[in-house]
Amino acid sequence: MHFSWVVNDPPSGPFPAGHFSIQPEVFRFVVHEGPNLTMDASAAGRAADDREVIVAARNLSKTYRDFWGRSKKVALKPLDLEIRRGEIFGLLGPNGSGKTTTMKLLLGLIFPSSGEALLFGRDATDVTKNERVGYLPEETYLYKFLDAEETLDFYGRLFDMPPEERKRRADALIAMVGLSRDKKRQLREYSKGMTRRIGIAQALINDPELVLLDEPTSGLDPIGTREMKDLIIDLKKRGKTVIMSSHLLADVEDVCDRIAVLHQGELKELGRVEDLLRVTDVTQIRARGLPSAAVEEVRAVLQRHGGADIEVGNPTTTLEELFLEVVRDTEARPGRRARQADRNA
Amino acid sequence: MVLEEEIPKFAAWIGPAFVAYLFAAGLVAVFAAALAWLVQSVMHGPLAAGDRVYRGVLGTLADLGGMSPRRIWALARLAVQESLRRNVLVVLGLFAVIILFAGWFLDPASVNPGKLYLGFILSATNLLVCLVVLVLSVFSLPADIKAKAIQTVTTKPVRTCEIVLGRMLGFALVGTVLLAVMGAVGWAFVVRSVRHEHELLADDVVEIKADDGSAAGFEGRTSLVRGHRHRVELDADGTGRTDTVQGHRHSVRMLEQGGVKTCEVGPPEGLLEARKPLRGTLRFLDRQGKPSTKGISVGAEWSYRQYIEGGSLAAAIWTFTGLTEREFPDGLPLEMIVRVFRTYKGDIEKGIAGSVRVRNPATGLQSDPIYFTAKEFTIDSLVIPRQVVTTTADGGTRQVDLFTDLVTDGTVEIVLQCLEPAQYYGVAQADFYLRRGSGSFAVNYAKSCLGAWFSMLLVTALGVMFSTFLAGPVALLATLAVVLVGQFREFIQRLFESQVTGDSQLAPGGGPIESLYRIVTQQSITLELDPSPAVTAMKAVDTLLLAPMRLGAAIFPSLSSLGTGDFLTGGFDIPFDLVGAHAAETLGYLLAFFVVGAVCLKAREVAA
Repeated sequence: MHFSWVVNDPPSGPFPAGHFSIQPEVFRFVVHEGPNLTMDASAAGRAADDREVIVAARNLSKTYRDFWGRSKKVALKPLDLEIRRGEIFGLLGPNGSGKTTTMKLLLGLIFPSSGEALLFGRDATDVTKNERVGYLPEETYLYKFLDAEETLDFYGRLFDMPPEERKRRADALIAMVGLSRDKKRQLREYSKGMTRRIGIAQALINDPELVLLDEPTSGLDPIGTREMKDLIIDLKKRGKTVIMSSHLLADVEDVCDRIAVLHQGELKELGRVEDLLRVTDVTQIRARGLPSAAVEEVRAVLQRHGGADIEVGNPTTTLEELFLEVVRDTEARPGRRARQADRNA
Repeated sequence: MVLEEEIPKFAAWIGPAFVAYLFAAGLVAVFAAALAWLVQSVMHGPLAAGDRVYRGVLGTLADLGGMSPRRIWALARLAVQESLRRNVLVVLGLFAVIILFAGWFLDPASVNPGKLYLGFILSATNLLVCLVVLVLSVFSLPADIKAKAIQTVTTKPVRTCEIVLGRMLGFALVGTVLLAVMGAVGWAFVVRSVRHEHELLADDVVEIKADDGSAAGFEGRTSLVRGHRHRVELDADGTGRTDTVQGHRHSVRMLEQGGVKTCEVGPPEGLLEARKPLRGTLRFLDRQGKPSTKGISVGAEWSYRQYIEGGSLAAAIWTFTGLTEREFPDGLPLEMIVRVFRTYKGDIEKGIAGSVRVRNPATGLQSDPIYFTAKEFTIDSLVIPRQVVTTTADGGTRQVDLFTDLVTDGTVEIVLQCLEPAQYYGVAQADFYLRRGSGSFAVNYAKSCLGAWFSMLLVTALGVMFSTFLAGPVALLATLAVVLVGQFREFIQRLFESQVTGDSQLAPGGGPIESLYRIVTQQSITLELDPSPAVTAMKAVDTLLLAPMRLGAAIFPSLSSLGTGDFLTGGFDIPFDLVGAHAAETLGYLLAFFVVGAVCLKAREVAA
């Protein structure tokens, strides 16, 4: 079976000059050895990992009910999840798939209909866990009548920080998110990008061990997106655990160690990004500064060794294909994990 | 001033009150837990429900233990900032406008301008401040939940009780500042409004000669200011006082410099006062002179005042205790508000004559009557001098000393009688007192503002409490409903009792449905409805509707009972016992509202 993100027919001629002109020296060769592709989703899940479990969801589900207790919407079907220290974990799914519901459950903002969510081994509704948690909501919900300094000072107080520490951390964070010049302006005057920045600053005010970012790059321009991703990777380097949700696949792919793909409130995929995306029967060769003659030569060599469906081009986003596949698969065969279905077939 | 119940001593009151409070709080808590368990049982089954309620209680207790002053203060500051952003200070401008209008429309020539101005300022201040904190408190939390800003807050280590307390504190702070400013401005307004000066020209003063031709004194009339003038009587050396008009008088001094006479009229005295009364207990003698617990009822009137018949042996006797010679060295300054019930008109300009006698309860020795004329609607004052005259057994008279002969162990009786036959005196226990002197009017005014402050605190707490589980407009209505139920507490209690017992005389007109029916069909409330199944059903529904209101009336605070404006405008010192009781009551309610709010917010999914 072929996955749709692989082009079966190799391009007949060289890529348009403009295509190369962006990054002329990077090529990517992709060789399909056969029609059967496997994605090793379970490997990551099984991987022996002795790092501390920071977040655990056990049979966690959420059904929204109306006033009379009648079930209105199943927002999250029973979910089992473990996230360990130092991971960047991505929650991926289309709008309304249960990403934000999962985050809210983990934060104790809503209460589970069944099962439990544990953070640092404590129940998600236990307020003391918040000492070690930072949260950036989907849209930055802050008090618009405060300025940046007041905002960070306010949230610092909520962590019971002494004044000097509040001041120090607020200054550092404002500088980090690049709002030093605008720190005396009320948030109502801020652009969406600036609001996002102050949002991330407030999420980090307590130097949290676990950071939950709901759509961290939404509303950010490409530069801002890049900075946000760098920040997330930097958090990981400092030993933080990050959970982020997004429907922007490139973001998730760039930064996440592991992802869970949710669709219609159900876990569809769970595993390490590279495992999920590794296509074992496809060989990828990358080279820098290869003249076009050499490219042709390599292609010939590959053909000589029986390589089929040779593809030459620049790296592309492939998670998008996985994502769309999951959505399509779910809609065709509801209620099953996409890959399990494949394996059973 | 009407004082229907005696004010108990705070120290004696607080103990039983606290026990009753604990009992009520425990009852409410148990009832709430049972209700929560029932609701949860329907959704999750009895065992899981028990677990949830148990964990909820534990969680709330843990939250209360984990409160941090810094977080509460941060949230309170936020509430203040939010209030300022909502331009809450505009209300001060509104208050200024109200005062300007008051300056135009309040009549300075009224019978008691001090009472008029004070009453107006107090109610305007109280109403404005309560309205402001009401609107602030009910819309704040729902707005936060709607704008989801609450999510960024609750994901910090913030206890829900801190959110509730912080809000209550913040808005209370705003209300306090508003109240302080309005109170100070109002004070200045009242003091300036009632202050006035009369002129007395020496030419208007006439010398009075005694029979032997020597100068006995002077008399005259002051100029007309603010719709009144005073008659002046001066003694021979040129000092004296005016008569009392509009509740005040002035001291007057006549000076002579270089043969030119000038008169100096002092500032008004007695206009803004804080009398400190020593009140006694009241008993009666009926017309035959036999002891009786009650006087005469002169009709279907308010039972606060009892009447004694004139020209008979009927008397009202007050027993005062705790008198010391040190406190009253110059005799007993008696002040009384005596109502008159006339069975014939007589000379309406003239008061009804009466007498007061002082009696020793131990020896039975009593003074000769001291006569006075009851001027209705004002406070009559009379000083019983140190030396009083008594009639001896042989018909002669002798002088006795008040304290050595008439007071035993600090106790004395004062006997009031009406002298004119077929006219009646109406008296109440609180209407007759010995004046101990005056407290500071400024302090009294501040105490009265304290009453307004308690109301403001309760409204704030109620608003915040309701906003933890209701949307803003609904919370507003709920708070208003509670305030109204508290306001009409006694009426609702009476109405419910009349519904249950079927005694329609208790509260004529019936419950809400019956009242509506009577309004639509234009039937008098005093007429019984013709019995029919429909009427029975209507009354049954009324009883059902009244039951929760009756419960509410038993539970919710009555803001008006916290007000001490009557004392202030009546010119009486507000007793600290009363202020203390009000403070304790307020604190009890605040605590209850806070806990209810905290529990409700904790049980709520703020992000749902």
